[in-house]
Amino acid sequence: MASVSFHDIEKSFGSTKVIHGISFDIQDGEFMVLVGPSGCGKSTLLRMLAGLEEITSGTISIDGRPVNDVDSKDRDIAMVFQSYALYPHMTVRDNMGFSLRLRKADRKEIDSRVARAAKILNLDPYLERFPRELSGGQRQRVAMGRAIVRDPKVFLFDEPLSNLDAKLRVQMRSEIKALHQRLKTTTVYVTHDQIEAMTMADRIVVMHDGVIEQIGTPLELYDRPNNLFVAQFIGSPAMNIVEGTLRRTNGMAHVETPDGVRWPLGGGAGADGQAVTYGVRPDHLELGGNKDRGVPGEIIVVEPTGSETELVVRIGDAQMVVETHGRPTLQPGDKVTFAVDPANVHLFDRTSGARLAS
Amino acid sequence: MKNVLTEAKLLLIGIPVAIWTLLPIYNLFLFSISTKDDAFAGKLWPDHPTLRNFEIVFREQHHFLGKFWRQLGNSVLIAVAVGVITLLVATTAAFAISRLRARGGRLVLNCALFTYFIPAAFLAVPMYKAMSAYGLLNNQWALILAMITIASPYAIWVLKQASDKLPWELDEAARIDGASPLQLFWLVYLPLMGPSLVAVGIYALLLAWNEYLYAFLLLSKEDDLTLAVALGQFLSADDSPWELLMTTGLLYALPPAAIYYVFKRYMQAGLTAGAVKQ
Repeated sequence: MASVSFHDIEKSFGSTKVIHGISFDIQDGEFMVLVGPSGCGKSTLLRMLAGLEEITSGTISIDGRPVNDVDSKDRDIAMVFQSYALYPHMTVRDNMGFSLRLRKADRKEIDSRVARAAKILNLDPYLERFPRELSGGQRQRVAMGRAIVRDPKVFLFDEPLSNLDAKLRVQMRSEIKALHQRLKTTTVYVTHDQIEAMTMADRIVVMHDGVIEQIGTPLELYDRPNNLFVAQFIGSPAMNIVEGTLRRTNGMAHVETPDGVRWPLGGGAGADGQAVTYGVRPDHLELGGNKDRGVPGEIIVVEPTGSETELVVRIGDAQMVVETHGRPTLQPGDKVTFAVDPANVHLFDRTSGARLAS
Repeated sequence: MKNVLTEAKLLLIGIPVAIWTLLPIYNLFLFSISTKDDAFAGKLWPDHPTLRNFEIVFREQHHFLGKFWRQLGNSVLIAVAVGVITLLVATTAAFAISRLRARGGRLVLNCALFTYFIPAAFLAVPMYKAMSAYGLLNNQWALILAMITIASPYAIWVLKQASDKLPWELDEAARIDGASPLQLFWLVYLPLMGPSLVAVGIYALLLAWNEYLYAFLLLSKEDDLTLAVALGQFLSADDSPWELLMTTGLLYALPPAAIYYVFKRYMQAGLTAGAVKQ
């Protein structure tokens, strides 16, 4: 087990700079997820930690020891690839034992460690099979087994679930999380899927265009996104956003959109007349507000999922998604009013996208 | 109906091609089981089929065939040596260029491609001079080295293409697992290149087996000759023993046929590898 620290990391491919000075620390035993849209540099960052990519400038340390010039094999890390990267000509047993074999561990040691890992991952019946004889989920588990056998300081996962179907992805998600809770090995996990990030992470690093947008626990990011990017990236369905102007009158504040809708606001920051972006999450728009304080809308689509009902509604000129529990009896075309608790809204400066403290 | 029509068309093309291909081989076979008189009678089947020709060849009972076994052995030795050494040269080159991204790899590949433009016959005399400078004339190594030179560029090119198809993550996984480049080569790269290696090895082996011009130029002692050159010598007499020439020719053609048959599966996999996206 170990801590990992990135200090002022930059990375360029030729003249293209893809990572612009990133610094953060990962605690011993932490499950850290790097998330962001494709091309944000998250995989590159992971590959630099793995030693598969040169570090242009800055320092990466594992357990306080800089590893910039240390070979991959001497960094004591194990990596699970998106494509699994199992050796096709070796059995599951040989795949899992390969790293130990290269380290000249003795046969008995290899066997017992492979057996232990296989037991943890329920791979016992498949040890003599070849990767081509396994399903996607089993291959994924073998890839994890190969990592576990090493008992490394840090686990690296590079979008490990992207090649699985939706159902299996959910299952493997909890398996990986359970595995981490059991082994408590420091883990760095890269994904573009914010749900994976939210459900698995102790802390999340949200990246965008080679910089960090925000670091925090899943709920911190959900409740208090630092900027518009994080607000829109985290959460599903995504946060509803409207652009408007901040109005302050007699100690009361609201945001007025060009179509005339007044969105309620608590006290907080921002000056009268400031151009702002107003955000409210789908589950914070509640049906049945009173006419004075609520915002009026019209139902466009009703999508029941059983326990919840998702509504697509028009409020002013904006189309928004509303998530309600239960099964409201609503038809497209119905006029309804939504209540918004000012404590649950998010306000961002329109030009910088930064959160206006509220 | 459409299937029948397609089938008919295929047969229409296939039958003439098959006849065209098989006729000379049948002729070869016919001569080998005929007496000299029967052979030129122009019949479709000899009046008195005989295995006497084979006996003469196997027992080296004709002065053109005085060293049959020795020369067959030479052919085998040279072909196998060329096959093995070409493979060694080409796999290491392809591995270095494709997987280790060795500096100058592109240049090597372009040079390899460029050598296609020069017919081997053009290089025969320069090669003769080169071997003479090395003092290798009348030594079988001259032919082996020459054939490796001719076979390697294509072999490197094909293996490089096949190498590129291996997923890059395998190398990265192996590196993280702690493999040195040499371990990567032996434990991961070679096993996965199997079919391509078989195809390329056989290509080089048969190239050497079939070679006449270079063998004729570079070897002169009767003990060193390959069977291909020995066959050519049959024609130096006015009254060539055609039935024996054909018998020896048939025997000479058998090993390649056997190799093709045994490695058929690998050959197809290897030669078409990378032709289509999988």
